[in-house]
Amino acid sequence: MDQTRPQTSPKRRAKFIVGAAVLVLALVGLVGWAMNRSGATSFYLDVSELQAQGPTAGTQDYRVGGNVVADSLHRDGLTTTFDISDGSSSVTIVTDETLPDAFWTAYDNDPGSVEIVAQGRYDGERFAATQVLAKCPSKFKAKV
Amino acid sequence: MAGLGHPALIAALLFAALALGLCLAGALRKRSDITEAGVRAVVASFAFVVVAVLSLLTALFARDFSLEYVANYTSESLPAVYTLTSLWGGMEGSLLFWTLLLTGFSTAALIRAPAQRAGLAAWAGVVLTGVAIFFLALLLGPADPFTTLASPPPDGSGLNPLLQSPGMVIHPPLLYTGFVGFSIPFAFAVAALASGRLDEAWFVSTRRWTLFAWSALSVGIVLGGAWAYTELGWGGYWAWDPVENASFLPWLTATAFLHSVVVQEKRRMLKVWNVSLILLTYVLAVFGTFLTRSGILSSIHTFTEGDTGKWFLPFLAAMLLGSFALVAWRLDSLRSENRLDSLVSRESAFLGNNLLFVAAAFTVLWGTIYPIVNEALTGVRVSVGPAFFNSVFVPIGLALVALTGIGPLISWRRMSKGSFWRVLRGPVSAGGLVAIGLGLAGIRSVGALLAFSLCAFTAVSLAGEFARGGRVYRTREGLGWPAALRRTLLRNRRRYGGYVVHVGILLIVIGFAGAAFRTERQQEIRPGDTMEVGAYTLAYEGSTRSETEEKQVNAARVEVLRDGQAVATLRPQRNFHFAQQQTQSEVAIRSTPVEDLYVVMTSLDADGTAVLRAFVNPLTWWIWMGAAVMAAGIAVLLSETKGSAVRVTAPQRRREPAVATR
Repeated sequence: MDQTRPQTSPKRRAKFIVGAAVLVLALVGLVGWAMNRSGATSFYLDVSELQAQGPTAGTQDYRVGGNVVADSLHRDGLTTTFDISDGSSSVTIVTDETLPDAFWTAYDNDPGSVEIVAQGRYDGERFAATQVLAKCPSKFKAKV
Repeated sequence: MAGLGHPALIAALLFAALALGLCLAGALRKRSDITEAGVRAVVASFAFVVVAVLSLLTALFARDFSLEYVANYTSESLPAVYTLTSLWGGMEGSLLFWTLLLTGFSTAALIRAPAQRAGLAAWAGVVLTGVAIFFLALLLGPADPFTTLASPPPDGSGLNPLLQSPGMVIHPPLLYTGFVGFSIPFAFAVAALASGRLDEAWFVSTRRWTLFAWSALSVGIVLGGAWAYTELGWGGYWAWDPVENASFLPWLTATAFLHSVVVQEKRRMLKVWNVSLILLTYVLAVFGTFLTRSGILSSIHTFTEGDTGKWFLPFLAAMLLGSFALVAWRLDSLRSENRLDSLVSRESAFLGNNLLFVAAAFTVLWGTIYPIVNEALTGVRVSVGPAFFNSVFVPIGLALVALTGIGPLISWRRMSKGSFWRVLRGPVSAGGLVAIGLGLAGIRSVGALLAFSLCAFTAVSLAGEFARGGRVYRTREGLGWPAALRRTLLRNRRRYGGYVVHVGILLIVIGFAGAAFRTERQQEIRPGDTMEVGAYTLAYEGSTRSETEEKQVNAARVEVLRDGQAVATLRPQRNFHFAQQQTQSEVAIRSTPVEDLYVVMTSLDADGTAVLRAFVNPLTWWIWMGAAVMAAGIAVLLSETKGSAVRVTAPQRRREPAVATR
């Protein structure tokens, strides 16, 4: 065993810096690649912003949030259609996905009280959601 | 009894402040008698926190709805076991529980700190009481669990039915135990930096705490996944939800730390790295606690919004800046005593493992806080989904699996390329054979092929380790294989217990890889109709309704057929909970080692027409099996006695044992 502390030679230091730089670049590259994959990120918009933004393009999904408009909900087999509004404008959401229990809990209490976030694509007219999340009603108190 | 809560918290705060002052004086004047008085004040502070917890528990069990907390989280019909969980079911209670663990762990760690480490213990006492004071201040300020209501309601809101599940009884306390458990190694690391005693003492004397906290966190995370799988009904176990990530982040850095301290012990390298990892782990643990309480991210896990979150930010910032300023100050004394001799060495395998874990932690952190940072910088709200996390995690995870197999094969310091390839031959051919076999069998998912093949590679490498260890006892002591393997495991628990944990991880990875072959069907179905999913036919026979005190139960009856043979009857439920006025689905699962059939009833009409959602999840069973193996390995690691903990291994043999240096 050597009692003396190893001295860092300039060559070793250069190697270290190059190695670290390569690793950091690899990581940045991986993250950059992953961020651009389809569905990796999505814009979070309210209804007016959605309409201002226009149809979904590229790999980035939209997420749109708003209040379900009372009496707008229709079910046809697996497909559910309803409108959401942000107070000033509204948009129709169409989905084949299961609506979460929290959605129905809130809907059954008061159809106008349901706050949702839908993820999917907008064609300029209707929003085709691949996922619908419902904001928990006030009685919901969840935790870690 | 509830009236005692508030005064008890005030007393706990006063004693914590007294303890802080005494420990600081003891540390600065190097007087162990003053430090001992400080430790006694820590004990007193803990005792008062216990009183506060007992008074809240009494109120919860007595359904004293004059306390806002009790009214919010319990109801007359709540079963006793879930009354206990409501102690940490709300934000205020969970912070009180955090404080209970923190002061309890501080007491246990400081009382048992040996006299010769009094210097370290004094500084650790300063850090631990400092953290305790922050949490006690929260409990007396914005997160007061003893707030009373002017007009108590006749019944409480009750606990969210999602949380009324056996997994949820132990998942949160395990996570908290993990988070808070890291306080001890963190405090001793800061103590080492503050006192300048930068040898191995700080982490060797807290090793069992680190291991304990890491184990609790590991088991807690797995239980959380199991809970999500059996309760949430979306067919998966991990959604990369911000709060899941928050528990995963400290786990990643702590796992890195557990591996890299081995290098410091054996080779006295990576000192800055190790101390930084444990500081980072604790900061991330507190960050996780903060994230769930801040309301800044939407997640199923978050507590109702309040202004508790903003108290955490300055605290986190102070911890982060303070601890890294200490590292910078001591940088000179933290220089490595050795350096990397060769890239083909166990040190470099450990280093690679560490870089991967830290890279993984960085990517998870990036994905978790990107929405916040992006909105703050550009005003555009963006969310980051599972597609991002899976894309970065699969390559990093697979590289880690490969390193798990390579690590044990190479020796410390250096190894000739020739002998390196010689030891790699067996595992590499196993991996290759599995890849070719599965490829010929028609598996085309590259990720899954790589995962299975790397698992085979690493499994053979680990099996070789056990075989080599066992052979020694067989020849030396004439034991049979089972006895020889047992002795191998028990004589060097740290090493072979670690390998058992690795075997568990491999099984879990196999389970993850199975997700590549998941199938899903959803169908509206009338009684008497059938639907197909994978190789199964589901025959829906109708639903029955019954009522308990708490809920209306609607249970579907689904006969499961495979190749025309009835294999099971599943009863997915869709229930209505009266206290919460909430509908809740209960999943039905038929689990086998090959695949799980997972059925959820997502809607039920009055005429019996239901919507069934069915998943076939191949190999998911192995995740829970792997977790059980991991737990067994953890048990072996934790059972290690002090004697075997300081065993000196090859590269150090001529040196004093690490722990005996003082």
